[in-house]
Order: sequence, then C-alpha cells, then structure tokens
Amino acid sequence: MTHLMVLYRKEMAEMIRNYKILWIPIVFVLLGVTQPVSSYYMPQILDTFGGLPEGTILEMPLPTGEEVLMNVLSNYGMLGVLVLVLSGMGIVSAERQSGVAGMVMIKPVPYSSYILSKWAGLVTVTLISLGIGYVASWYYTSLLIEPVAFERIFQSVAIYSVWLVFVVTMTLFFSTIMKGNGSVAFVTIFVVFAISTITAILGKYMKWSPATMTDFTGQVLLSGELESSFLLAFIITIAIIIVVLISSIQIFKQKELLG
Amino acid sequence: MELLKTSDLVKKFGMMSAVKGINFHIEEGRCVSLLGPNGAGKTTTLKMLTGLLEPTSGSIYFKGEKAKDLRQFIGYLPQYPAFYNWMNGKEFLVFAGQLAKLNRKEAEKRSEELLERVGLTNAKKRKIGGYSGGMKQRLGLAQALIHRPKILILDEPVSALDPLGRREVLDMIREIKQETTILFSTHVLHDAEEISDDILIMHDGEIAISGKIGTVIEQYQQPILHIELESQADEWLKTIESYSFVSEINIQGYKASIVLKDIVNGKQTLLKDIVDRRLPIRKFEMAQTTLEDIFMKVVKA
Repeated sequence: MTHLMVLYRKEMAEMIRNYKILWIPIVFVLLGVTQPVSSYYMPQILDTFGGLPEGTILEMPLPTGEEVLMNVLSNYGMLGVLVLVLSGMGIVSAERQSGVAGMVMIKPVPYSSYILSKWAGLVTVTLISLGIGYVASWYYTSLLIEPVAFERIFQSVAIYSVWLVFVVTMTLFFSTIMKGNGSVAFVTIFVVFAISTITAILGKYMKWSPATMTDFTGQVLLSGELESSFLLAFIITIAIIIVVLISSIQIFKQKELLG
Repeated sequence: MELLKTSDLVKKFGMMSAVKGINFHIEEGRCVSLLGPNGAGKTTTLKMLTGLLEPTSGSIYFKGEKAKDLRQFIGYLPQYPAFYNWMNGKEFLVFAGQLAKLNRKEAEKRSEELLERVGLTNAKKRKIGGYSGGMKQRLGLAQALIHRPKILILDEPVSALDPLGRREVLDMIREIKQETTILFSTHVLHDAEEISDDILIMHDGEIAISGKIGTVIEQYQQPILHIELESQADEWLKTIESYSFVSEINIQGYKASIVLKDIVNGKQTLLKDIVDRRLPIRKFEMAQTTLEDIFMKVVKA
C-alpha cells in the first residue's frame, strides 16, 4: 500500500512537472466548449463567410442541449481518445527503455504496485480531464442553448468514463508489452477503433462490448433510461479491465528491466 | 560468516549459456571483485543475485537460507544507472528510500547524509538531467546505499568515468567497505587489486579462479625477470629460451619478460651472459607475476 502511494505520488508529480495535468484537461475543455458555441453561432458564422444566396430559406433548428452534449462526447471519442493514448503511450515503455524502471524495481517494490500506480495516474488524469471538459461544455450549453438536467449529465459522464478508463488501460497494457512509443500508440488506437467499429457493425452480437458504453451514454443522455443489457456490458467491461491489468503485471514481471 | 552463496547457477539465453553453473560464496564484511573480460557473464551473474533476472537453474542462498526476494538486503548500482531526469538529486534519493520501506522522515535524513557523503550536497536541488556522468554515478551509489543494504552490488562502477571521477568513486567504495559487504565487477585489474579483499575471476561463463587476493597471487605467482636492452639483441634473447631454468619468455622489441623456474641460477647465468657478451643493458629487474599476468593466463587458456 505504501509503495503504491509513493509511486502514485511520483506519477502525479511527474504529470505536474511536465504540465500533462494542465494541457490534457485544456484539450478536453476546448473540445467541449467549441460544440455548443459553434452550434449557437452557426447562422452568424455562415453569414460572415459570404452568407447564403438571396431568397434561400434555411431553417436552422437549434439542436437540443442533449444533442450538443452527445456531439461533445463523440468528439471525445475521437480526439479525446487520441490525446489520452498519445500522452500515455510511454508510461511504461519509456521507463523501461531508459532503464529507470529497473532502478525502481531493484528496490523491494511489488510488480503490481508499479503497474497499478501507473494505472491510477492515467485514470486520474483521464477523469479530471473528462470531468472538467464536460462540466465546461454543460455550462456553455446551458448558457447558449438550453439547460440540461444535472442528473443526466452525471449519469452520462459516469458511463462514458468507463469507456475512457478502458482505453487508458489498453494503453498501459501495450506500453508494458512493447518497447517503441510510436508502435504502442498505433496498436492501441488500432485496437480501440477496431473494437468500436466491430461493435457498431455487429451490434446484435456485441451487446457485451466495452464500446457499447458510448451508446449507453447517448441513451441515458437523450432519454434518461438505460437498456437492460447495460449491466452485462458494464460488468464485462470492468472484468476486461481487471484481466488486462493482471496480465500487464504478469508480463511486466517477465520483462528484463536493466539493459 | 557466509553471506551469499550460489550453487550451480546457470543462465541460458536461448541456445547460448551466459553463465554455466557457477559456485561461489561471499563472506560477510569482505570486498569482493568479480573480474573477467567483456562477455564473461559478470553482469548476468550480478543480475541474478539481485533478482532482476531469473536463473535458468541453480539457486542462491542468503545467510544459509534459500533466497526468495533479496531486494530488501541488496543495494545495486547498474552499469548504466538511469534516473527520473525531472527530479532533483534529493527528490530521487527520498523516492528511492521510500521504495526501500523507509518512512518519509528517515528517507529525508538518510538522503541528506548520503548526499553529503557522495559530495552532491551543493547539487541536491539541481535537476538530475543536468548532472555529469560522474555525478550520476555518485547519485547511483547513494541510492544503492539508502536502505543500509547488507550487501552492495556494483556493476562496473568506474568503467565509464574519467580518471578523476574514477578516483572519487574508488575512494568512496574504499570508505563504504568499512560498513558493508561489497561485490563489484570490473575489467580493470588495477582497481580490483587496489580495493578488494577477495577476487573471483570469471571466464566464459565459469569461475576460473577464486579466493583471497593475496592467496591467489601467491598461489599463481612466479618470479619474473624483465630485461631491457639499448639495442637489438635478438640473437641472444632467442638463445635464452633453451636454458633449463626458463619456463616462458616473451620478447617485445628490446624488452624481454622471462618467467623463471630457478631464480638464483637463472639470475646468475643471465647476468654472466650479459657481461660476457658486453650487451648494452638498460634494465635488469626481478619481479613477481601480477594479477594481470594471472588474468591473462586464465583468459587465454
């Protein structure tokens, strides 16, 4: 337990020193705020850029608050995931490459503490970024478009965070088993998008897939209700996260740490 | 007392055996050097002792008991120590201390002590990224000592340093030697001779020679005669080989090193030769074979 705390504090200190704890939330805030702002100002923006021909009647219905927030989450699903994976790709591989992972493990540190501290660090920065970004988005949506009930915001962000935690867990896993930072990012992104795509195409057979979390987020946001298959998908996603973490620890144990 | 013992320790990487079943033990309080040419298996052996590398077979005993996780008792300085470059020197030591189960207060206190000791007190607030090679090596030594290990294992602690840095680190090791058992690998024989009590010479994955440094030298020592002439005297030098008291001769230009079986007879005969032939002699020196000669003999054999 103390090892875990010491290592977790080191993770957080590192993210403060290299400003990750600052710029990742900023990216999420920017992604979250541009959606309601651009929806609101779309008519004016079109006008400024030359407008529409005389006589065109264009009905531009303002989207509902829930729809705006859904778009925000879909942005997080692309760019947010990209940013999280790229910022986390070196979390273990870079330390193994430099040899500093060996300097840590030469002390009586359980292998699990090392990996779990990394995971806790990634999860912390993910939840902070998602939380702050989403709240900012909610604020601007309420201001410019229409208020959205806090309950739905809370439920949707809770469900969506499970998906992002899944993504960073995969990043940690590939960072443990592979050495090159670039390949870690490439493989992680490939796997994550493959899971999303397969889930979208074979929806019927993939009700348990972690990627369904994004669908459930939309559901709860728009209707406030969840399909019954949610529980299954939720449990399976958590189970996958745990299994992936355990495998990461086991694989890390086998790796040669000092070159 | 026997602190650490290996029994038939083997490490294979694929088909290649890096370490081929070695047996040795380290007495408590001794400073032991592990010698051997590059590729002899020194680093592999040390890594197995630290637990960073799983032996293919064989076992390690610590204080007579089969070892499981020795990391608490071992301080290790790898050949290329790495640090978190964004930390400063003191932060890293406190971090390492806490990982070694010291509480924060103890870790802070111990860090200050060690920084003082390795001469980094003035640099403790500087980022490690800006440290020189010698400073990193000294910080590495400090982190290895942070939890007062029972045995300090150093992998080529001075090989990468300039003469000044080498001197500093050697002096530090000499000091540390008073408090704890040390095992260090090196291929610089002079360093081993200077600071260690016992030596282990490894060659090709096996322990070739082990023992107290004095005993080893005594045991393998032979009298040797160095002759240096002012001009070429090949003819005469070649005839020396046929004398019965000569066991080995090595001629390099004007110089010759002659290993003797019979010192008294050899010395007299050769001196007489020189006088008789009016050879222009520059040096005629009696000596004993050194650790280097023993080492070369083992490695070439």
